[in-house]
Amino acid sequence: MTLKMDTHVTEGITVVSCQGRIVFGEEATELRETLKRLLETTRQIVLNLSGVTYIDSGGLGTLVGVYSSARSSGADIKLTGLGQRLRDVLQITKLVTVFEVYDTEQEAIAAFRRH
Amino acid sequence: MGFQTITGPKSEPGSGVFPALIFVQGNDQHTINLDHSPFTVGRKVDKDLVIADPRVSRDHAVIVSENGKFSVMDQGSKHGTFVNGERVQNRILERNDRLEFGVRDIAYVIFNPQHVSGSNTAREFLSQISGIHISTETTDLEKLTLFLEAARKLNTVGVLDEILVTLLDATLKLTRAERGYIFLKNEDGALRLAAGRNAKGEPLLDDKTMSRSIVDEALKSNSEFVVTDTSRSLDLAGRQSIVAFDLRTVICIPLRKPQVQSTRSEGTGTAQMLAAEAMGALYVDSRFASRDITSVSNDILRAIATEAASLIENARLVQAEEAARRYQQELAIAASIQQGLMAVTIPEVPFARLSGRNLSCKEIGGDFFDAVNTEDGLAIVLADVSGKGVSAALLASTLQGMIYSQLTARMPLVDIVSAVNRFFTQKHIGEKYATVIIARVCPDGKLEYVNCGHVPPLLVSGHSVVRPSLGNVPVGLLKDAIYESDHCHLKPGDRFVMVTDGVTEAENANGDFFEDSRLESVAAASRSMEDIFTAISDFCSGTPLSDDCTVVELLYTG
Repeated sequence: MTLKMDTHVTEGITVVSCQGRIVFGEEATELRETLKRLLETTRQIVLNLSGVTYIDSGGLGTLVGVYSSARSSGADIKLTGLGQRLRDVLQITKLVTVFEVYDTEQEAIAAFRRH
Repeated sequence: MGFQTITGPKSEPGSGVFPALIFVQGNDQHTINLDHSPFTVGRKVDKDLVIADPRVSRDHAVIVSENGKFSVMDQGSKHGTFVNGERVQNRILERNDRLEFGVRDIAYVIFNPQHVSGSNTAREFLSQISGIHISTETTDLEKLTLFLEAARKLNTVGVLDEILVTLLDATLKLTRAERGYIFLKNEDGALRLAAGRNAKGEPLLDDKTMSRSIVDEALKSNSEFVVTDTSRSLDLAGRQSIVAFDLRTVICIPLRKPQVQSTRSEGTGTAQMLAAEAMGALYVDSRFASRDITSVSNDILRAIATEAASLIENARLVQAEEAARRYQQELAIAASIQQGLMAVTIPEVPFARLSGRNLSCKEIGGDFFDAVNTEDGLAIVLADVSGKGVSAALLASTLQGMIYSQLTARMPLVDIVSAVNRFFTQKHIGEKYATVIIARVCPDGKLEYVNCGHVPPLLVSGHSVVRPSLGNVPVGLLKDAIYESDHCHLKPGDRFVMVTDGVTEAENANGDFFEDSRLESVAAASRSMEDIFTAISDFCSGTPLSDDCTVVELLYTG
């Protein structure tokens, strides 16, 4: 398992910080399960990916999958801390138009608090 | 039963002192010692060998001994006596001669065959496999173990059933009980009848006439075996099954997974079997009218208890092995299907040359490319399904089929990917998706392409490389995704190169990626696709690929 996740609550918003690799297999599964569990009690999650060194196609699929199901149930996940590589991947796949991406964790939290 | 078995004093069948007869009737087989002369055969009950069939005469034949030789003499039977298929009146017998009395095929006798001790299926089976020698001292249960070994070597399908039946036959022979059943626990813990045999070797498919309560009790108890003599137990004698079916003696042996080696000395082998949970039960019984089986020695029962459990456990392992082997085969088939998908027949067109190549990583991947020529032009598909393994390959083949048929129907490219996206998102196939690029080039050099999440294609014109950047989201991720296509115009000599992300993400030992920049510079400098592959393998210099690399190149010739 090469993915570590820490969850904390800042200003009433749940922030999940990921470290390591989000890849097809147990890492992607763990990410999905963690977010699904959190979405049972909160509707607003900031996913901080600044510690993520690599995300493969399977990991990306999981990210989109969780994001879509959160949106359809009225919840929202905002992304922050995207490295250059992840930005490239989201750019190539045009998924950058799907996610709400913020440069910093504070900006992402603030965006939630505005609504 | 229509025969009697003669047991000479202190003589083992086939021990060499007396010749043996193997009497075979249906599935049943018995060894009879020819220890006196004349040895009589017929339908009358006073015969040494009684065959209860109307085609056998009352006094059918005799086998007599003269000067150390044995011969068979017909006694004027109606339907005749046959040796090796030939009707005879009087014939000196040779080893392995086949004797038939009136009835053909249903019942016959083999005279003094080479291997006679025991009439065990296992032995017959083993004797057919050359190179395996069984000592005559081998016990029936040891033979079963050998049988299992042999069966494993032959990869026999359904070995468990064979084992159960053979085990029952051996147990019935050892205990001299009338009927035997084996119950095995299902995954949910319920007992199911796995095999049933009577002493004649006939299968028993119905377990309604045996005492299920005794089986349940034996399983609950910690005993190695339970012997019940109903005539001595008032409590039991009242039980419905015992009364209704006239059961006298029941032996029930719980089959426990062999965890520790049980001691067989001093008759105290019980304690060490306690911990193991029973995986089933071996049950034999006899009725009042029949012989008493309570006198069966505890040693025999203990031996059966330990050997039977380990046999069944082993047989199950063999089955699991077989299942794993089949699964491996399925995987190999999946891999070859995937290879078949990659084996594209490239259409020949006068205005363009197409080439494609795939470098597979070890696992089955989800890359494929395809080409379809229609009146609208030559269409090229390159796709990469997320993930690896069989699931990716399955999805890849579905995707390929859908795209192929729509291209053949000359559908607009945007409609094709939209339809595929709808299909994938509606089918809820989890988080699987595919990046797809479809390009269609017309004879006049007009090229339309739709890129769904793929690494942008390269348009190589002379030594300059253009990366048309219009992209869309992959198919299968977002159900409301809208797709757009892009156009460009090819001049003769221009190349349109499409790659999967396995190329740009090819890693070297330092963990660096091949990247778009390297791809672009090699594409600009090279004349063909092969140069790209050479550059990739030079870059990786031995680091194994973690993803499939596929490159498809279209050269427009005009």
